[in-house]
Amino acid sequence: MKSRIEIGVLYSRSGSYQLVANACHAGAMRAISDVNADPASGIELIAIERDPGGNIDRYAPLCDEILRQSSARHVVGAVTSWSRKEVIPVLEKSGAALWYACPYEGFEANEHVVYMHACPNQHLVPLLAHVVPRFGADGFLLGSNYIWGWETNRVARDLIADAGGKVLGERYLPIGEADVSRLIAEIKATRPAFILNNLIGTSSYAFFAAYAELARTDPHFGPENCPILSCNLTEAELPAISEAGRGHLSVGPYFRDQAQDDAPASSFEASTYASVQVLAKVLATDPSAGFAALPALFRNTSYQTLLGEIAIDPQTQHATLPVEIGRIAGLGFERVSRTERMAPDPYLSRYDRTETFGRPRLKVVS
Amino acid sequence: MSRVSHIPNLGGAKAFVLHRPHANVSAISRQLAAIGLAVTDCWPELPAEALAADFVFFDVDLGFDQQFPWPRGAAPMPTIALIGSEAPGRIEWALSHKADAQLLKPVGNAGVYSALLIARQSFAARRQLADEITALQQRVAERQTIVRAVAALSSQGVDDERAYAQLRTLAMNWQVSLEEAARRVVALTEKEGGFDQSHRA
Repeated sequence: MKSRIEIGVLYSRSGSYQLVANACHAGAMRAISDVNADPASGIELIAIERDPGGNIDRYAPLCDEILRQSSARHVVGAVTSWSRKEVIPVLEKSGAALWYACPYEGFEANEHVVYMHACPNQHLVPLLAHVVPRFGADGFLLGSNYIWGWETNRVARDLIADAGGKVLGERYLPIGEADVSRLIAEIKATRPAFILNNLIGTSSYAFFAAYAELARTDPHFGPENCPILSCNLTEAELPAISEAGRGHLSVGPYFRDQAQDDAPASSFEASTYASVQVLAKVLATDPSAGFAALPALFRNTSYQTLLGEIAIDPQTQHATLPVEIGRIAGLGFERVSRTERMAPDPYLSRYDRTETFGRPRLKVVS
Repeated sequence: MSRVSHIPNLGGAKAFVLHRPHANVSAISRQLAAIGLAVTDCWPELPAEALAADFVFFDVDLGFDQQFPWPRGAAPMPTIALIGSEAPGRIEWALSHKADAQLLKPVGNAGVYSALLIARQSFAARRQLADEITALQQRVAERQTIVRAVAALSSQGVDDERAYAQLRTLAMNWQVSLEEAARRVVALTEKEGGFDQSHRA
């Protein structure tokens, strides 16, 4: 008889970033059913689902509801950093843990959170290290107006300066805003070497479409000259971008191998699936394991997951992940490069300018 | 002008936590280790190696002056006060140690990172200000030398204003500060009983 364990699932099934949230939801549900179907797993997971509907103010109350109305001590959920930061106080109060399976801006290591997708040394830093020598160091930075865009662009400003480049512009749009004409006009005027896109959801799709239009009139803005770089773009959102995305770059721990039929559709799905896989291993070892038991369980352990063999750093509770750079080709990505087992460095404490961009810039002494 | 990178490379920095063994110390150590610092906790005294630390966290509730290998308020690195009881006397004591940032106890899951960045910046600002004040004080202390140099120059028959202008020209020609030029003029005057214009460089 398998022991039945409830876990929370907290994703917005509607709203401006629903494609991402639905990919995560699919990964979680698929993993739960695979764990339950596996006779060797020893546990049966029961999903306690809540849907904040893309409304930021619903996250904390619904997380609280999961933890009060069920026996769940672990919640798989949250897409935006804003929503993650909303639920953290609830987790701290209830002694619960969040399994967070989306890329984020770093500079956090809460013991109530397990960070299962990339942080900046696993997305932004390797992506710029790849792009700067090939396209140039002058960038234009875009973001949705909340912490992911602000913080990722802040790190990008420093990286660009370290690479000897200039930030030619930095613009933010409210989440859900689709009028990008001003951004396009500024990019056209400043002619950067690349565009760092930290817009999310509908704003991002509108930008890709308008930028492809710009490239039709001015070839400088084609992906072979001035690519759009994203740190969170996956197959989950390519249907909304379609041909406008072709040739532009993204980075993540996983891109779908098109030859494999049953592979997860995106890194969001794969990371969420991996989160539930690891959580199931933890709960199979100790069905009552709470957040406090996690560091000891993560120590000297690695897990076979859909992302490959991964370890979770017990100090920061961030996953060691592969880093893959991909080029959009229709509804999938072509692999540009892949690095195995990149250890997490959420505070960029080990960032080294020379290692990232080669020899130091020449300095004007005055 | 050179640009300072804003990515705070805290990896490998050394922090000492001066606090009796307690859950608060574990909470601080956990956060410091996650950020990438090497942590040493100690009580009741800071060891000599603490002089080479990059950051020192110190307990305010039970702290006393003799714990520190430096005079009160003269820590050679950024310090962070760990405040539990908000008794005015204890806060006064923490202030006398010129803590650069504070962290309230009980320490939870956050707070250490911002304390590190705030402490580092306010320590650097305080040190820069102190250096500027020292330099200015040295210049003020040379006022008398300048008066003596102007007097020596004007003894050759020019008025004070011209003598002062002459001193400035000498400083420029010698490529030294006005105070240094004045010291040289006074020294030459004392040696030879008068300032001879042939010494002009």
